[in-house]
Amino acid sequence: MGQQLFYEDVTEGADLPVMEKQPTTQTLVRWAGASGDYFELHYDKDFAQSMGFPGPIVHGRLEAAFLSQMLTDWIGDKGELRRLSVQYRGNAFPGQTLKLGGKVIRKYQEGGENLVECQVWVENPEGKQITPGTAVVALPSKS
Amino acid sequence: MAGPKTGTMEEIRALQGKKAEESMQIDRHMIRLLCDCIGDHSPRWKDTAPPAMIITAMVSGGAMSLGIPIPYKRSVAAGADWDFFKPIKAGDTLYTTHEFYEVQDKSSEKGPRALMVYKSTHKNQNGELVAISTNTIMSY
Repeated sequence: MGQQLFYEDVTEGADLPVMEKQPTTQTLVRWAGASGDYFELHYDKDFAQSMGFPGPIVHGRLEAAFLSQMLTDWIGDKGELRRLSVQYRGNAFPGQTLKLGGKVIRKYQEGGENLVECQVWVENPEGKQITPGTAVVALPSKS
Repeated sequence: MAGPKTGTMEEIRALQGKKAEESMQIDRHMIRLLCDCIGDHSPRWKDTAPPAMIITAMVSGGAMSLGIPIPYKRSVAAGADWDFFKPIKAGDTLYTTHEFYEVQDKSSEKGPRALMVYKSTHKNQNGELVAISTNTIMSY
């Protein structure tokens, strides 16, 4: 369990803690079962190659799920993830180490909540942001 | 998403607004399978599902249940948004309405291209809004 993050702790422009993930082919099969996505592109090498890929690719939604974990780990038990938005601009392959990161864009109060907007991304081993996006989290205040 | 049929833009536009409803009970086992898969071992996710539960295709992948044809031969997920309003607890039943919201013609000199936008609204057994998700698929 991570330390609780408070609204007052957050500074615009600050980096979020980096998280690394290395999904394997087994991870993709487990994600298929846990998420109900059985598209062959994510586990069948022949099928993936017939679509022009070198092999099965990581589910975009799994990358989004990783990003949601990065955010909930960062904000702590009393924080709430309010919004996550992602664009799929590249592919990740099983066995690759993916680096998840983010940066605080702005903090503001709205509807009685302390909100923080962030850029987030999944970066492949070549340093390309294959899944960039934005997120909004609500944080408790120390006051 | 495997092997969607193709249709003309006119046929697909006529399907804008088509809806499908489904329900799903969330239990501890589903939460544990999900958390084990993504490697999220926070004790917070025992009776409460992480936001990733809404991200799963079985909850917010409305494109699969609506059976809308695509205008061109190939398709790929382009992006997705999730707004989270209320946590999901083990034992909750999610009632989801998926809607084929619109098709946008994005064809250019580079070739034919279209964006298919789906919106899903997720409520719990008490009628409380849990989340809204948007899923965009590019056909080319």
